[in-house]
Amino acid sequence: MAEENAQQQSYGGGGGQRSSGPGGGPGGRPGGPAKRGKRNFVRKKKVCRFCVDKADFIDYKKAEILAPFIQERGKILPRRMTGTCARHQRWLTVAIKRAQNIALLPFAAEL
Amino acid sequence: MEERLYDLIFILRPDTPESDIDKVISTLEHAAAEKGGKIDSVNKWGRKRMAYRVQKLREGYFVYMVIRSSHGEVVKELERRLKVSDPVIKYLTVRLDEELKRQDKLKRHRERRAARRPRKTVAPAAAMPGAEQTATPTA
Repeated sequence: MAEENAQQQSYGGGGGQRSSGPGGGPGGRPGGPAKRGKRNFVRKKKVCRFCVDKADFIDYKKAEILAPFIQERGKILPRRMTGTCARHQRWLTVAIKRAQNIALLPFAAEL
Repeated sequence: MEERLYDLIFILRPDTPESDIDKVISTLEHAAAEKGGKIDSVNKWGRKRMAYRVQKLREGYFVYMVIRSSHGEVVKELERRLKVSDPVIKYLTVRLDEELKRQDKLKRHRERRAARRPRKTVAPAAAMPGAEQTATPTA
């Protein structure tokens, strides 16, 4: 029991260093319900949209599928915003970049 | 050597007459045939708005084709032709066979897993044929 506690604390300490400050203490990270700490709200877990669809391939030709994953200014949204899993984000970025090359998606928004 | 599959998309000036578009496509088909490749399908997407301006144009006539060949020479020749062809403002070739291979692999993997899963839960599998039997007389 004591050993487990010590392990958790060391892990939390590492997390705190990365996010710099007591605010991002143990249990305060997004994803998964917070067990303890000041911030006790439960964040709804985002699910990778491509995993739900069981997508084996992200088509760069379908700009309307890719469009929700880019910002207004044309930046690709990070995984932490969209909840896409690592594998699908990897495929997604490639698809978006291909679509940009053939003018289906913008590199940057025009003014 | 195994066959490769390519996607080729090119964009023509929006004011290109239909006859010129067909001419471009037919020259590409001839060029591909000469180099030992084959154009599987040609799909004219038609006039579309481009996401950004290209050569001061906002619209373009998109043509999409699938090419099959066993070596890269065909793509080289097609891209050279697209580059020198005046109405073409943009083109992109993407090699797809490896991605399709990966897609197949994942699909097979998933099917294997799906096939294995019913063995653990016998009850739903046993209920299914019974439901079917009751359904068939009514139908």
